[in-house]
Amino acid sequence: MRVIVVGAGLAGLTAATDLAAGGAQVSVVEARDRVGGRTHGIEVAPGSWVDAGAAYLGERHTELNALLAELGLKTTPTTMTGESRFALGHGDQTRPGRFPPLSAVALGDMFELLDELTRTIRLDAPWLTPNASYLDSVTALEWAQRKLTHPDSQLFFPLFLGEMMAADPADVSVLHMAFYLSSGGGTRYLNAFEGGAQQDRVYGGAHQICEELAARLGDRIRLGEAVRAIRQNSAEVVVCTDSGELRGDVAVVAVPPLLAQAIDFTPALPVRRATQFTRGCAVKVHLVYPGPLWRAQGLSGWSVSAQGPLLSTVDDSPADGSVGVLTGFVTGLQAHRFSALNTPTQRGEAVAHAAHLFPDLPPPIGFYVTDWVHEEYSHGCYAALFGPGDWIRHGPHLRTPHQRVHWAGTETSTEFFGLMEGAVRSGHRVAAEILTRHYSLGGTA
Amino acid sequence: MMVDGVTDIFRRVLETGEVGTESDFFALGGDSLLATRVLSAIARKYGVELSFDDFVLASTPGTLARRIASATP
Repeated sequence: MRVIVVGAGLAGLTAATDLAAGGAQVSVVEARDRVGGRTHGIEVAPGSWVDAGAAYLGERHTELNALLAELGLKTTPTTMTGESRFALGHGDQTRPGRFPPLSAVALGDMFELLDELTRTIRLDAPWLTPNASYLDSVTALEWAQRKLTHPDSQLFFPLFLGEMMAADPADVSVLHMAFYLSSGGGTRYLNAFEGGAQQDRVYGGAHQICEELAARLGDRIRLGEAVRAIRQNSAEVVVCTDSGELRGDVAVVAVPPLLAQAIDFTPALPVRRATQFTRGCAVKVHLVYPGPLWRAQGLSGWSVSAQGPLLSTVDDSPADGSVGVLTGFVTGLQAHRFSALNTPTQRGEAVAHAAHLFPDLPPPIGFYVTDWVHEEYSHGCYAALFGPGDWIRHGPHLRTPHQRVHWAGTETSTEFFGLMEGAVRSGHRVAAEILTRHYSLGGTA
Repeated sequence: MMVDGVTDIFRRVLETGEVGTESDFFALGGDSLLATRVLSAIARKYGVELSFDDFVLASTPGTLARRIASATP
């Protein structure tokens, strides 16, 4: 069986690896000149890498942890020690722990409401959630305006949603918000570092996962070939790139829904891949200093700000201590504003913001902006945002094969949707789907 | 008894039955986010709004119940 995999991110390469192990003849086509998709490494000092894209994992990310172990990659804890900085509009504050200087009862009311909502989600089929048609018709912004009465929860809600799912509340339905939180293991798990979804990073960078998978797949991977069209008939599927055509028995499309939608399918897809979907709005900023200088002042590097650009920062310094790295997250509406600026202005704003949060910081020795919103071959990060109507319209078809074309990608996983874990699970799922279908039809390798 | 009511809130939020009067919330896996949910539930049930710092200083059902009682008019 010949299988063509479109997309050399975590989902595509996991699928390709499983399919090759199952005896299929696999080719992977990737538009970029690198593998990794929404994982990407930046070398901030010789031999020291930071994650420009997906970075974190927790213990419940069992398939990702298993894959890391198989590939001989290690994790490193994201332990934070020291005090946090907050700039939430009542003057700057330094406080122990990550809890913001806002009304605990007001935030608790908000988390109780979110918990109540996430509990109702049918994770295997979110569109069958009780009251789904209502939840899918209202945006998270409308929900918040109705339910959150305290100014502190009104202030914190968009920051929280930005951090959790890189969404502006106006862009997602309540159903998608509640699904996302539920899929990631619930609000507490998704939010937590220690004991949660941000417990660890991949030592040396998450980009190594795809690089290691690619090394094992060898010349089965073709880089720099964007797929423009996929044709199929009863005999075969033909994947067309700018430089030629690949013929196979089955294809796996392992790219985000907005990119899958842009492929010209013949016959046409019976149901579009995306309608209201918008791009996850995340820009990641890395400020590199001669060392983690904030630690000398008893600060952890963690901060939360109500005003951009750096809505939150975290100490992402490489474990070898070669340099200090402050990672800034620019999400939601701020991401759109920030990504429209030119590079010197971005740098000016980010450096000034960091210096304001962490007094006495010298100018950075390195500065990197990774704008996922405008990445041609990602169309947003962390994941596609489902707007009103999307789950009911598209949810039931997210994984349904279009004849010889099967679907993968973190957006096709209802478990750990939007995370690396979801991508890996989708890769395993699609490979099993294809191998089962093939051999149950009496096919041979 | 107020302490039983607080214990019930701990059990619900921590999703465990293993909560006694002297059980420490953070030792049972609670974190700041879950603590706010306890404080929200206490405010609804007893009409007392405590701060996160109050909670850190009284993170067992027993101590928290005493803190609520002393704040109740």
